[in-house]
Amino acid sequence: MNPLINLLKMEFNRFFTNNMMYILLVIFMAFQVFGIFMIKQYEQPDQEGILLSTMNESQFIQAMLSQTPSWVMMYIMVFSVYFYMSEYNAGFYKNYISMKNARIYSVISKILILGLFTLLMFIVMLVSDLIGRAIFFENAAIGDLQYFFKLLVGQFLLHWAFAIVILCITMLLKNMIASIIIGLVLVLNVFGVAVSLLESLVWDLNLSSYLLINTIVSVMDFNELQTVIHVVIAALAFMMLFSFVAVRYKLNEDLR
Amino acid sequence: MSEAIIEVNQLTKQFKSNRAVYNADFKISKGEIFGLIGKNGAGKSTLLKMIGGLIHPSKGEIHLFDHTVKGNHTYFERMGLLIENPGFFPNYSAYKNLELIAISYGLKNRKKHIFELLELVGLDKLNKSKVKNYSMGMKQRLGIAAALLGSPDVLILDEPINGLDPQGISEIRKLILKLNIAGMTILISSHILEELSKVATKYAIIHEGEILEIISTEELLLQCEERVELEVDEANIIIPLLENDLNINNYKVLTNQMIHIYDTHVENKQIINVLVENKMAVHSITKYKQSLEQYFLQRTGREGESFD
Repeated sequence: MNPLINLLKMEFNRFFTNNMMYILLVIFMAFQVFGIFMIKQYEQPDQEGILLSTMNESQFIQAMLSQTPSWVMMYIMVFSVYFYMSEYNAGFYKNYISMKNARIYSVISKILILGLFTLLMFIVMLVSDLIGRAIFFENAAIGDLQYFFKLLVGQFLLHWAFAIVILCITMLLKNMIASIIIGLVLVLNVFGVAVSLLESLVWDLNLSSYLLINTIVSVMDFNELQTVIHVVIAALAFMMLFSFVAVRYKLNEDLR
Repeated sequence: MSEAIIEVNQLTKQFKSNRAVYNADFKISKGEIFGLIGKNGAGKSTLLKMIGGLIHPSKGEIHLFDHTVKGNHTYFERMGLLIENPGFFPNYSAYKNLELIAISYGLKNRKKHIFELLELVGLDKLNKSKVKNYSMGMKQRLGIAAALLGSPDVLILDEPINGLDPQGISEIRKLILKLNIAGMTILISSHILEELSKVATKYAIIHEGEILEIISTEELLLQCEERVELEVDEANIIIPLLENDLNINNYKVLTNQMIHIYDTHVENKQIINVLVENKMAVHSITKYKQSLEQYFLQRTGREGESFD
């Protein structure tokens, strides 16, 4: 396991000395606070007649994440593509990839780094939401803590799975612009909407609700065990599938 | 017989319809500087990438340190690679790049080790500059430092003098010789035989993915040495005459009809005179001088072309 820890240490070092990571987080925070300010200026009740400014943090997060394009997914997508492609374009992998199991460990360590970035995004989202809501909505209520925790964990897993999907696509395409375009299509949930539409025409099942982006943008009741299981299954299935594809691909890849 | 550090058997790489390397066979012994010579696109980098574990062979075997590497990457770790362009983050300094590599290797006492290597390649005073501001030569030297970071047993250098000025080439050459004297086995590729001949102890000529010839420095120099090629009826009768009458001692009998004379103090006319005086038939006599470049072009079937 030592080589995995060494590669992970290296990726952590690169992650924390990477200006892009800080820039993305700061921009996201600024826009998130600014977004809350704009919401206050032009606030309209939602379909159920509830004003965003009266919502607690759990409701607010769900309302924000259900809007496409989701800015959280957008930033995660940009960072995932950037983090992989910056190393690939520089050719830095050539320095360590010959080591035993380095191909596998390199993918695993990148997956863990993307998890860390997703976590930081969620922390920044929470902090900026609380600051923005406290200042502009004069409402920093979080709501039921247990519900809030389940929502955060569920959405974190889903967003991490999304980052892994993007990593896998970037590895396959090896092109920053193409990966970002595909990422944008995914963030806009074009695929999820199309599949849902086709599904409603062809049969009476609702399998498309298990699609990753569909699950992320759906407003769900995390008090229900079924919802929690749905979210965890969708997240883990996409995580495992795309991690497996990414590792298999890296193992067989001829590096330039 | 010296220990074979690298051995490739029937190594082949096929990229869709393009056969990059075909049935490559050779051995590299401990302490050798093995030169891989071939024009651009001959398959040098592909071959080195296979040996370095960056790409997978389509067919054939690689043995490193007397072990097959199929499914076992442990032995790749004992090799330092500089293949094609050095792989560094342009916005990081030389030190930072080396530090990241050192972390991935799990090296202890990183700072000391990195500074020693930067000093070895002459970049110790520029360790804080971003790599994107480095010249091509500086990047190549940093690439060598990175390749040496894990204290490898074998160094694989792909076209390390590409884009370097004469001073840079000379510095890299000195560094390679210094490392070799310290016991390192080096596999180096180039498309400039003249330059390679200043360091290599053995050569493989690669053309269109195939190894055409493996030749030692002594054999290569002998091939390129100035000589008189003499075609006669019976060489064994001629030889005493050459030795006694013309004091020729440096020669090689190829067949009983063909002798190569390497003693350049004797003129063709003198040889003909001696043979005629002794009633010996001479079918042909040719003064032959071939440059390393001509030798390479001849082997790759491109005689008459200029090569650089």
